Amino acid sequence: MQNELDAVVNEQASEVVLEKPESQLKEMWFSLIANKGAVAGLVIILLLTLVAVFGRFIMPYDPNYSDMTISFQSPSAAHWFGTDQLGRDIFSRIIDGTHISLTVGISAVALSLTIGTILGAIAGYRGGKIDTVIMRIMDMMLAIPSILLAIAFMAALGKGIDKAVIAIGLVCIPEYARIVRGCILSVKENDYVQAARVVGNKDFRIVFKHILPNVLSSIVVRATLGISSAVLDTAALGFLGLGVQPPFAEWGDMLGRARGFIFSAPYTLIFPGIAITITVLAFNLLGDGLRDALDPKSRKI
Amino acid sequence: MNTVKKVLAVVLAAALLCLTLTACAQGASNDPKDTLIFAQGADPRGLDPALVDDGESSKVIVNIYEGLIKYAKDSTKLEPCLAESWTVSDDGLTYTFKLRQGVKFQDGTDFNADAVKFNIERQMKGNATEDMPYADFVYGYVTKVEAKDANTVVITLKDKCTPFLYNLAMSMAAPMVSPEALKKNNNNVNEAPVGTGPYKFVRWDKEQSIVLTRNDNYWGEKAKTKNVIFRIIKDNSARVVALNNGEVDMIDGIDATVVDEITKAGNTVDQPDGMNINYMAYNTQSSICGKPEVRKALSQAINVPELVKSLYQGYATPADTILPSFVPGFSKDIKQVAYDEAASKAALAQAGVTTVHVITYSNPRPYNPATGKALAEAVQGYLSKVGVTCNIEVFDWTTYKQKVKAGDFDICFYGWTGDNGDPDNFMSLLSDKDPSMNVSRYDNAAYLDLIAKGKAAAEGADRDAIYAQLEQNQVDNSVWLPISHSKLLSAYRPVVQGYYYHVTGNIFLSGMSKTK
Repeated sequence: MQNELDAVVNEQASEVVLEKPESQLKEMWFSLIANKGAVAGLVIILLLTLVAVFGRFIMPYDPNYSDMTISFQSPSAAHWFGTDQLGRDIFSRIIDGTHISLTVGISAVALSLTIGTILGAIAGYRGGKIDTVIMRIMDMMLAIPSILLAIAFMAALGKGIDKAVIAIGLVCIPEYARIVRGCILSVKENDYVQAARVVGNKDFRIVFKHILPNVLSSIVVRATLGISSAVLDTAALGFLGLGVQPPFAEWGDMLGRARGFIFSAPYTLIFPGIAITITVLAFNLLGDGLRDALDPKSRKI
Repeated sequence: MNTVKKVLAVVLAAALLCLTLTACAQGASNDPKDTLIFAQGADPRGLDPALVDDGESSKVIVNIYEGLIKYAKDSTKLEPCLAESWTVSDDGLTYTFKLRQGVKFQDGTDFNADAVKFNIERQMKGNATEDMPYADFVYGYVTKVEAKDANTVVITLKDKCTPFLYNLAMSMAAPMVSPEALKKNNNNVNEAPVGTGPYKFVRWDKEQSIVLTRNDNYWGEKAKTKNVIFRIIKDNSARVVALNNGEVDMIDGIDATVVDEITKAGNTVDQPDGMNINYMAYNTQSSICGKPEVRKALSQAINVPELVKSLYQGYATPADTILPSFVPGFSKDIKQVAYDEAASKAALAQAGVTTVHVITYSNPRPYNPATGKALAEAVQGYLSKVGVTCNIEVFDWTTYKQKVKAGDFDICFYGWTGDNGDPDNFMSLLSDKDPSMNVSRYDNAAYLDLIAKGKAAAEGADRDAIYAQLEQNQVDNSVWLPISHSKLLSAYRPVVQGYYYHVTGNIFLSGMSKTK
């Protein structure tokens, strides 16, 4: 009985809010690939993912092997991006760093997305005192500059990739919580939600089965853009010397230590900088493309 | 209305022009040859040698004041200054100084035994105030000061302490201040300095400049250039630009990254070794590095000259000894454990060492401008070639000092900047009971014995030999791996003649002149 009613409610919901799901997805996809920027972003992200996964097979050198006799070599055929202060191959280190940047970026967003969505859903759906308490805590977190908050978390947790994920993930929670809460507030009074409630669905089921799927598009867009800012935050922490423990290669860390050699060995600074820029740009392009594709108003008819 | 405005504009422009012209004319009337301009990065904290502990104050102080003893021009050997000679009693407790006669302070007060007594008693236990950072370091051993006659001072110490003589040559606490000036200024001459030196104080515009002029009543050779201006230019690159424009004649506080810029502009970079040592320390109480043979093998794995060359790009000298070459007691016969990768690998494999716990600091230090992190990573690279993995933990400086004190590490990185140019100041680090000084927790009976002897021995070749033995003791036990002596970088324009930057980080301007 419950399931049947559910199906009815779902169908109703689909009719009210959405068109047929498959056709919507298809339409979204076409809209996305019509956007050149988004395609470029997607291609770069796919390439970066390949590099992150299979990078160790294409690295010309061990990224952590230092040969002090060849420190500060300009880019050459042997060392495409030159060598750093300790005579390590910058090209190999940048490839190695892709892994860390993407891992931290994606895991941090996954963490903040999960916690943020749950908190936002509870606050938005329940309302009242719970809403006030949760959202005021989120407001407090937003009032502190995010990088400062991340530094504070890192100082408390110590160094390491896992700690960076936690620090950056925690800092981003309020953004997701607010978005989800806002979306839920706007859909929770819809008829299909009321119907789901009338047929006796539990709150948990209503939120996850009936409400969240309808706010998914905003979350996906936010998460994609969130990855780019998480990558940037990771680099910022690394730049400040709070990222990974040596000798691991991390773009921000490479950038930070190259700062002193900006005039004498600019290539130590330029290449990690380009790597960060390209990654952030790719996620931003994809995020923008997704937003346009998912927003029916901006879609071309 | 319009005409009124126009007239006003013309009048204002003319007034401005006149102002500029007079300013230029004033500048032109002073021959630039007569003024040496030295730019530094920060305002002095003050100009009373008893009340400051920073290098920026020290550079100005040494041109206004003098002490009983001074350092030689290119080392920290001792030379007479306001004291013409001194004798030390056989028991090493009584120092008798014969003072130079006819010396006057810049305010006309006589320099005599009473003035010396006044200066020392001001900083002795009981009289010294909280804000006298070096009083205890310099005069802590003194129990009594007597003015035997106008030109003889007798100082009694509570214990034998040859470094006391070196302390008297320091730019902190030791320089003699006019007692009259101190009385007049409520025991604080930070802004009204009066000494016996070649330059006297004229004016201090806070955060801008300090102006000194020649002391024409100076007892020794009078200063070559009439005026001296210490300009404060905070930003490092702005200071370099000021030098390259010819706006200032000399600068310090620069690092290796701007050397090319300075030399390309036709100026000269001066780079003597500094009074410091940058070292890697083994924790002699750790289970791995407690064994001397393991320490030696680890040291053998590291090619120090190669590391120093690449990490510091020529702005540091690889260290074979703890003592810098200009400190008495330095011996060029001491050599570090030689680089030998194969021997190291074999020894470490035999000892079963596969990982070591390394802690280091994240920031640059004066003795290690490349940061402790870069240095640790370089060592990590070398040790990986002999099959040893380094687990490096990087901390900010404050946390790092606590970690070093706590002692949970096999290898750490540290350094020392000398205070007084005495070998004991460096070598006694390894005899200190405090683990934040003696980070290796080295406790060797022979070493402690030699340190005690060195403290008591009279100045001279015999004493120097003791310090050579101490160096050898350290090498034999591989307690540290001395890495480098960082250079002191300063720069000057070619018009400056007789430039030298003292190894203690001071600049003595009285012997310098300008060709135009």
